[in-house]
Amino acid sequence: MNFLTRIAAACHWRAWAAPRWLFRLAILLALTAAMSAVNTASAAEPRMPIFDAHVHYSQDAWESTPPKAAIAILRKAGLKRAMVSSSSDDGTQKLYAEAPDLVVPSLRPYRTRGENSTWVRDETVIPHLEERLKKYRYVAIGEFHVYGSDADLPVVRRTVQLAKQHKLWLHLHGDSDAIERVLMQDPTARILWAHAGFDRPDAVRAMLRKHRMLHADLAYRNDHASGGKVDPAWREAFIEFPDRFLVGTDTFTPERWHYIAAHADWSRAWLADLPRDIAERIGWRNGETLFAAMMATKQ
Amino acid sequence: MTCGSIDRLLYRLAFAAAFAAAWLALTAAVCAADEARDFSAAELARIAAHGPWPLASAPDPGNRVSGNAAAIRLGHDLFFDPRLSADRRVACASCHDPVQGFQDGRATARGLLTGTRNTPGLLDVRHRRWFGWDGGHDSLWSASLRPILDPREMGGNAARVARTLRGKAGLDCHYRQAFGKPPHANDPDLLVNVAKALAAWQETLVSPPTPFDRFRDALQRGEAQGVAAYPTAAVRGLRLFLGRGQCATCHAGPLFSNGEFGDIGVPFFIRPSGVDPGRQGGIKRLLASPWNLLGSYNDDATRDNATQTRFLRTEHRNFGEFKVPTLRNLKLTGPYMHNGSVATLREVVRHYSELDEDRLHTDGERILRPLRLTDAESADLVTFLESLSPASPLPPPAVPSVVAACRAP
Repeated sequence: MNFLTRIAAACHWRAWAAPRWLFRLAILLALTAAMSAVNTASAAEPRMPIFDAHVHYSQDAWESTPPKAAIAILRKAGLKRAMVSSSSDDGTQKLYAEAPDLVVPSLRPYRTRGENSTWVRDETVIPHLEERLKKYRYVAIGEFHVYGSDADLPVVRRTVQLAKQHKLWLHLHGDSDAIERVLMQDPTARILWAHAGFDRPDAVRAMLRKHRMLHADLAYRNDHASGGKVDPAWREAFIEFPDRFLVGTDTFTPERWHYIAAHADWSRAWLADLPRDIAERIGWRNGETLFAAMMATKQ
Repeated sequence: MTCGSIDRLLYRLAFAAAFAAAWLALTAAVCAADEARDFSAAELARIAAHGPWPLASAPDPGNRVSGNAAAIRLGHDLFFDPRLSADRRVACASCHDPVQGFQDGRATARGLLTGTRNTPGLLDVRHRRWFGWDGGHDSLWSASLRPILDPREMGGNAARVARTLRGKAGLDCHYRQAFGKPPHANDPDLLVNVAKALAAWQETLVSPPTPFDRFRDALQRGEAQGVAAYPTAAVRGLRLFLGRGQCATCHAGPLFSNGEFGDIGVPFFIRPSGVDPGRQGGIKRLLASPWNLLGSYNDDATRDNATQTRFLRTEHRNFGEFKVPTLRNLKLTGPYMHNGSVATLREVVRHYSELDEDRLHTDGERILRPLRLTDAESADLVTFLESLSPASPLPPPAVPSVVAACRAP
């Protein structure tokens, strides 16, 4: 006789008849309570942290959303960490000073917005990078834009060398040709491919198979998920390379700081359609392993 | 030869020379004008694509009183009736002023409160696919219902609407004629019916042909006189519009709009803090609305008119996108942009000429590049844009007839 049956037997005046039905009632109540507990736990389950690998905090952003307000936006969105690069880098430093636990700095070569297409031929970029690298700590150089053969221009080559010298990642917004050229220059280069090159999932998978240290962020893309469901072709990519993808908002205008929270929720929704382990890796663990750990070792 | 005869000869020679110079100058100007109008077959086809005007129209299948005379009259009368609003002072026409192309001339609308968006004009509104700067509505009737209920605009409700209808014999009668029953506040159809009547009237608002339309038609018919009547500066502006500017990519067809949404780099902060999410908010609002075409108030039993709504999904790019507006009637409907932040057409052209590419995503609106127009080119483009408006002020809209059953005995 188990515990519940003993209680039932002891309490009921018709003790000889009670145990069977009371036992059943007790089981039912226990099951209901257990299910209720599970539901409650589920409802109270904290939202998944997000490592946002693609945040910019350029001058127009810090003018409209000062550092304290910007950090409040990141925390409210439930970000565990944000990899930030800015035009100029002062924006990143302002944000990092405000919340070193939250901000993972990346050094953007642009001193003002508008150097996206000119920086590859601007030799003054190099002393600028060297000066900042001496002064501040970073996990990456980027995000920068480079396409095709421009990746072989001297300024880009020197940038790749600087990343190698300082053991930094390259956050590269460009096509697969540019990726190939950079990896020819430095086969050990670690590249975070911004927006996964806006390439098709099969092409992205081919690049990830070919280059072991190539990773990709999914910022400003919608094709991998819709309505909280992961696209089948992308699902295969995520399952094949769960350690190689990250999510990101891309705050390319100051208004987009007000989109960070919505983007985090959108990411949580489609990540929930993947096995939990893969979702967590893409959602935040990859960022922690690849970048946040680097900052910890640089302390 | 005497001195007097030499003077006469010289005088005649000078006169002849001046006449010849004037004739040559005139000939050169005419030739230049003709040359400006010498369009290639491809250009002719592209110009033809912006007409004919006005467009043919059919009743809205989602609105069973579309084209119904009683509903049109009811819609007209309600449009100008401020009693629908909470303070009995704001009518639809308060912001949609007929003499200003059904706009108000303000940067942002002012109903019971001041809003954050520019009032859209209503001429030719029946031809739109989405309604509002964010496309938060997929039918003219549902777009007509929102301002009545919005506490910032008219702040109305079903009881107030029913009271307004019952308070005037003409309104009450036309409502009964259109919908076959009296207006009751507890009738769940009441608000939608009123909105459908408002839509039925707005469907009649069609802008007249413009100088551009006459030029386009003359070009099609090969009528030299009609073609020549179009200003040369407007022709140059048209060439910029179709060519280097690539404006017609989005401002396409007879409406000069593709009916969709774009981010052209206009800031979308709402002061003092916050942003207008534009199309992204519009899609969310539309899909959540009980009055969208997927819902039970759509009168099209086939639901064929709901296909585009059914497949709507938000994308990251939608954040900060706003409707590509029609370019017809621009002279009447300034200021411009979703927030009325650009006062004149000259400034609109300057916006595109000096476009801030940093505000556009590298992989977003690839078509947009700063046009770097000269002052003369900007003036030409403005002249062309102005030619898309009626040449003379619009008369007040005609008052629809009272239906026979509602005429006083």
